[in-house]
Amino acid sequence: MKLSTKSRYGLRALANLIGQDCCCSVSKISKEEHISSDYLEKIFVKLKKAGVLKVERGAAGGYTLSRDPSQITLKEVIDSLEKAEFSCPSICNCQSKSVYQQIQSGFSQVLNSITLDHLTDSQNKLTYFDYAASTPIDPQVLSTMLPYFDFSYSGNSSSLHQFGLKSAQAIEDSRVIFSKILNSKPEEIIFTASATESNNTVLKGVAFANKDKGKHILISSIEHDCVRESARWLKTQGFEITEIPVDKDGLVDFQFLEKNIRPDTILVSVIHGNNEIGTIQDILKIGKICHDRGVYFHTDASQSFTKVTIDVQKDNIDFLTASSHKIYGPKGVALLYIKSGSNITPLLHGGGHEFGIRSSTVNTPLVVGFAKAAQIAIDQMDQENSRLTQLRDYLIKNILKNIPNTHLNGSAKFRLSNNVNISFDKIEGESLQLSLDLYGIAVSTGSACSSHSLEPSHVLSAIGQKPEQAHSSIRFSLGRFTTKSQIDYLLKILPGEVSKLRKLSPFK
Amino acid sequence: MTTLVGYSKKVLEHFKNPHNFGSMKNPTALGQVGNPACGDVMKLYLKITKNKSGQDFIKDIKFETMGCAAAIATSSVVTDLAKNKTLDDALKLDNKDVIEALEYLPDIKIHCSLLAIDALNEAIFNYYQQTNHSISESLQKKHDRITVCQTRINH
Repeated sequence: MKLSTKSRYGLRALANLIGQDCCCSVSKISKEEHISSDYLEKIFVKLKKAGVLKVERGAAGGYTLSRDPSQITLKEVIDSLEKAEFSCPSICNCQSKSVYQQIQSGFSQVLNSITLDHLTDSQNKLTYFDYAASTPIDPQVLSTMLPYFDFSYSGNSSSLHQFGLKSAQAIEDSRVIFSKILNSKPEEIIFTASATESNNTVLKGVAFANKDKGKHILISSIEHDCVRESARWLKTQGFEITEIPVDKDGLVDFQFLEKNIRPDTILVSVIHGNNEIGTIQDILKIGKICHDRGVYFHTDASQSFTKVTIDVQKDNIDFLTASSHKIYGPKGVALLYIKSGSNITPLLHGGGHEFGIRSSTVNTPLVVGFAKAAQIAIDQMDQENSRLTQLRDYLIKNILKNIPNTHLNGSAKFRLSNNVNISFDKIEGESLQLSLDLYGIAVSTGSACSSHSLEPSHVLSAIGQKPEQAHSSIRFSLGRFTTKSQIDYLLKILPGEVSKLRKLSPFK
Repeated sequence: MTTLVGYSKKVLEHFKNPHNFGSMKNPTALGQVGNPACGDVMKLYLKITKNKSGQDFIKDIKFETMGCAAAIATSSVVTDLAKNKTLDDALKLDNKDVIEALEYLPDIKIHCSLLAIDALNEAIFNYYQQTNHSISESLQKKHDRITVCQTRINH
């Protein structure tokens, strides 16, 4: 038993309706929630029949709740739309019947205990705009993972008995899913514990395996800290690092790249979708330059994976990093694509798991969850991208329009569908972050005030921002559970909080 | 991108409802410290008059701050602590008093409490300079340190 689309849409529409000041037409809600108006009309007619909704007549008329939201339970709503039943599929009176009855009664109890105002509470009181930092796990992913914690999957995937083989099979099936998404061979996918680990493995592993060829590495000036810090450490080991500059949109300078690939260059590492400003690099072009010059190309696709199509063969990628917890999968698992035949030394030595590249017992449930998350994300990529792009552009447009002295950071055109990064002049980012947090709105800042270094973000500095602008930046990152009404809530709170902080500032 | 540090209830209170904020018309003295490049700038306005015993005292104090929540809270607290104090007593305040009044400050925010005390010292220094009042060695040293700090930050 699971909620069908009808119930989900019904609940979403009701939550939206509660957020409206008065009665509301079907067409308005259908537009805001991206539900077809015919379908929504049918849902509303049923809800009206069941006494959940009523219709106000007149010019300002429309649908409205018949009672206070705290008086309407989810059970009532779902029952009026479909039969919320968890019944035994068998008609006979077997032993399982009582189990199903128990589940049904628990199910009804839960639905009876949740009212519509709970629904809007979670919508308004906790408004998460930090999906680029981490995403909540998709319930479908979680339920896919759970059986893999059972005894039958508890074997070590490198053991040859049935327990081990079952785990091994689940991991190999997952590898196939990723290889299809990336257009690679399954054995080119290595599972690791984090994107940080994948990036460390590439930087250090390629450096040490190829030091006879040369000790020069190129990275972009807007890499994630795990690439930057790995490169910085390699410097202490005698490697030479050159940073490729970016333009004001955050796009790497191809001419600089071409000019600075030398005979002793062994690796170029450029982040695909930037984590702070969302700029998407032309990896096809970078891959071609590297391929033509015979240099390995690594891209950190932690933010872009399943948001932008990646074809490792067409894009000439030798190494690629992707992470699970950015795509509604569990934390603690990531992947590294390694083109077959590439020369790389492992970081972890041991039992030779993952084709000898990453010794460690593979965590079967996490890998399975990661693969499921990737499959879901890829299946809905186009639809989700267009939904998020609309919401993103709506948010950007309204901030820039309604709040003076605000600027969009990063490229307007080559941008992740879920990233909004804005500088609010004369304000320190952390204080705005905290102001919003007090309203239950979670965002992220490029300000250094909340970090140990007190240095402003290197990414914002790299796109030419002065330190004071960099300190004033806020990143809003959207995701699968972001709705237009959440964005409207943010847009309602934001101008007042910005002007409050500006009033405190000595700079007018 | 980093997340919020843990703030005490008191810091949040001062952040939400700062005391004595805004500019002041015709202040007797001004103290400004910090640098926008570092994300923190504090400006203190003092109105100084004589009390009944003829000592200089801070009759009114206002602040304007661009900075993180801790910078705003420490500014607000320092105005509370200094208000109605004689200049001699105000100069005895140090950042421990500020931290104590806020219950707790995370390690990486301790510099905000120092900045707030610096701003107060600078405002008093500014007043002494205007009035040709003698300046103690320790206040002169503090002023020199603050000035050097800011020049270094500027370059």
